[in-house]
Amino acid sequence: MSAKSRLNNFKSFIKKPHNIILIVLFVVLGYLTLVPLMTIIVDTFSVHSSEARFVKQPVGSFTLYHWNKMFASGVTSQKTFYEPFLNTMVVAFLSCVMAIAVGGFFAWTVTRTNIRCKGFISTVFVFPYIMPAWTLAMAWLNFFRNSRVGGAPGLFTVFTGIETANWFAYGLFPIVIVQGLHYAPFAYILIGGILRNMDANLEEAAMLLHANRWQITRKITLPIVKPALLSTFLLVFSSTMSAFAVPAFLGSPVRYQVLTTQMFRTLNGMNPGYGYIMALIMIVIGVGILMLNQWITGRRKSYTTITGKSSNISLFNLRKARTPLTIVLVTVLVMVAILPLFSFALESFIMAPGNYSFSNFTTEFWIGAGRADIANSEPGILRNPSIWLGLTNSLKLSVIVSLIAGTVGMLAGYSIAKRRGSKLSTWVNNLTFFPYLMPSMAFGAIFLSMFAVRRGFIPALYGSFWLLVIVGSVKYLPFASRSGINAMLQLSGEIEEAGTIMGIGWFKRMTRIIFPIQKTTFISGYLLPFISCMRELSLFILLVSPSTRILTTLLFQYNEKGWNQYANAINLMIVVIVVSFNLIVNKLTGASIDKGIGTN
Amino acid sequence: MKKLLACALLTSCMVASVFATGSKEEPVAAPAPVIEEMSHDELVARAKEEGKVVVYATSSRIAKAASAFTALYGIEVESSNLKDFELIEKVAKEAQAGVVGSDFVLAQDAGRLVGELIEPGYLYNYVPPTLKDVVPVAMQNPLQVFAINKVFIYNDENVEGSPYTNIWQFADPKYASLLQFKNPFQEGVNANFLTMCTSDEWSAKIAQAYKSYYGKDIVLTTPNAGYEWIKAIYNNDLIVGTSDTTIAENVGIKGQNAKRENPPVGLFVYSKARYATSKNLALKPAMEMEPFSGFYYSLYALMSSSAAHPHAAKLFIEFLFSEAGFAPWGADCGTYSANPNNPIQEDIDFPFATWQPLLVEEDGAFCFDNRAEVEEFLNQYIY
Repeated sequence: MSAKSRLNNFKSFIKKPHNIILIVLFVVLGYLTLVPLMTIIVDTFSVHSSEARFVKQPVGSFTLYHWNKMFASGVTSQKTFYEPFLNTMVVAFLSCVMAIAVGGFFAWTVTRTNIRCKGFISTVFVFPYIMPAWTLAMAWLNFFRNSRVGGAPGLFTVFTGIETANWFAYGLFPIVIVQGLHYAPFAYILIGGILRNMDANLEEAAMLLHANRWQITRKITLPIVKPALLSTFLLVFSSTMSAFAVPAFLGSPVRYQVLTTQMFRTLNGMNPGYGYIMALIMIVIGVGILMLNQWITGRRKSYTTITGKSSNISLFNLRKARTPLTIVLVTVLVMVAILPLFSFALESFIMAPGNYSFSNFTTEFWIGAGRADIANSEPGILRNPSIWLGLTNSLKLSVIVSLIAGTVGMLAGYSIAKRRGSKLSTWVNNLTFFPYLMPSMAFGAIFLSMFAVRRGFIPALYGSFWLLVIVGSVKYLPFASRSGINAMLQLSGEIEEAGTIMGIGWFKRMTRIIFPIQKTTFISGYLLPFISCMRELSLFILLVSPSTRILTTLLFQYNEKGWNQYANAINLMIVVIVVSFNLIVNKLTGASIDKGIGTN
Repeated sequence: MKKLLACALLTSCMVASVFATGSKEEPVAAPAPVIEEMSHDELVARAKEEGKVVVYATSSRIAKAASAFTALYGIEVESSNLKDFELIEKVAKEAQAGVVGSDFVLAQDAGRLVGELIEPGYLYNYVPPTLKDVVPVAMQNPLQVFAINKVFIYNDENVEGSPYTNIWQFADPKYASLLQFKNPFQEGVNANFLTMCTSDEWSAKIAQAYKSYYGKDIVLTTPNAGYEWIKAIYNNDLIVGTSDTTIAENVGIKGQNAKRENPPVGLFVYSKARYATSKNLALKPAMEMEPFSGFYYSLYALMSSSAAHPHAAKLFIEFLFSEAGFAPWGADCGTYSANPNNPIQEDIDFPFATWQPLLVEEDGAFCFDNRAEVEEFLNQYIY
């Protein structure tokens, strides 16, 4: 190839907007994800200021101390690493099974049967995902706590007189149930999306050939759902593996430890080196699962589902079971999604814990001026300036993050889909997904140290609001880019080509053709980062400063102090904001989070 | 085409600079400023000129103190309540980044404050001249503003006299799954307390207490009796809590003693004793324990080397020792001003002089040198 034709190739390459987008994303994301990864690795080998006296080496020097302690130091390694690691794997695996079983069953009943109350079920089913996960853990304790920790007995014991066993109230079992329920909406959305969009002709063809229900399910439905099952498994496994608050609340009374709880205390305590090793291991496992997922799924040939063919699916007739099953499902939903909210509301009005008599009710924690003898004179949340500041910041942060992540994700989806199969596109695709695999807490810690100093033209961002914005945008990009890619893969290329032939510019093509067609999916790509941001804790906990405090960090502070009334009130506030936001967007545009992750 | 090339070149330069310069900028710790003596009026005048002060505190009551300070001097306060380790991380990171953050801090966890923030020069000690003769000398370096005690507190509903008289009871299988104590990895002062137990002085006393409880000498499987006690209480199924407020409620809720062999007991801040009236709980301190009834830690006021409003900060530190400055803490029991003239809650509390001999104190230097070792040890038994 001559120099000239090479130059021409380059010119035509650079002329296409999607190529430029890919290159920019490659550089920026490479910087924002691979550099943190390198920092983590370096941190596992260097002496930190809090350890200098113990390791007996100067700060910053090379050491194998952490690796040695973590893997090859007898009881210490056993307790700090191996046992928590095993617990983490067990928790993550069982939570996945739970989430897929529950979410998949609900998805199947809603999309494939003639169950009643579908609207109610699909709206309410995502509530547990919207709520911060640890609040479900709190609700669990409200209901099932036993006398091991003393105090007021749980509501279950009050009503039935049965004392719950330790294994039921604390540790592995409740952690799996709570995390499973929290992530079940994931499975519901992913599996439901496939079931809803799947080409009905396939099943109809099987029906014509006199295949029975079971055969259809086994030979057609399950294979089609398999990629969604695997994606769910991947997403839920990485999420539960890096979840911190639920095991912290439910595991601590019986000292059940997982990697994240160990990571939290080591990153914040005297041994950050240990914490970074744990973070690294979680990333490695995450990448491993991702690769496994890609290997199993392989490259499906066609993703196109918007074809104009009939997609009327014959619904499975539940016959006599219809009403009873509806009642059962609605009851379960009310118990896991509505009852906790009710308990938060109730608890926020109670003075002495466990006493539900009318005289014990108070509005102190909502509108009181603050009493010195209750909670250090903290004013009620509606009169509390720091809560108003937190609320403003949370909203501001979530809106900006969702705008950035949503837009970048959409562009990424567009470009990746356009150049599907090319190396660059595969790289960018993996880079946009990589942040998902980074444990939030470690991600926050890394960005903290990365941007604490001035880096080239980027000023020191420590304590600034923009640091939160960057972290949030990168971390939630996977949600948006997933839905962006899905939206683009469903769209056949001719539509844009028609515009190109007519000589319409790229910007106009995007805003006038592509966006309007896949509006709901794209808007869902904005919605997910918003919601995730509103309820995120561990990502931001190390990065907020007094003027940038957000609702969840306030909530966690109140929780930790044991000022549950304030915590419950804030929690209710977050859920109400997010749910109403979701409903408004849904009413106005038809988008909703259950369309966000879409079909991939 | 040239434009394109130029663009690409510029971009790559910028990118390179992003990668290159970041880690090279060494944090420069500012030397502690020379403290100039000035009259109180002059300090007030200068502070008012500055008009503002930023404080990080591990106590949420700082907000109340801040509004009182603003009301008195008309100086705006930006206060934030952080957790102990967050505060340490934040101050260190800000100093390394050259970011101007707080003007002063009101912080706990002596060990880490001394080793990680004062030694590198991020924070320095300042004793207001008006207080040099008021605050006991032992509390002046680093300057302690308040002492806070955590005491063994039990549920005293229908209980005559304390059932708990020796710390070795909590290691006795007869009292298994009983004692509640917040996770020492969650709050540095708790880890400091356990670290202090392993000091020569306290481990000797703990060995003595073992003898008076069991009537025989302790047989060591660990370096000393302090370690032995820590191991024993955790092996005896100590209940690890997440918050002192929750522990207080769990211990104090009425109606439990009738159903249990031993009244619930926890080691938590004495300020929660107030819940006995405000939340109708049953809480009483066990004040005749051998060899200690709990421990105390201090909140230290320390100036930031990079303070933007140093005079306002100094004025605020001085204010914290006044009756009005202490009021947000003094309105409750369990916090004791380093200024002995400030009153306590006499209906429920005792003067610090009564408490001090019953409690393990916190030695910052000892903690910084030994805590990592104790944490390593704890790791084996706490989980």
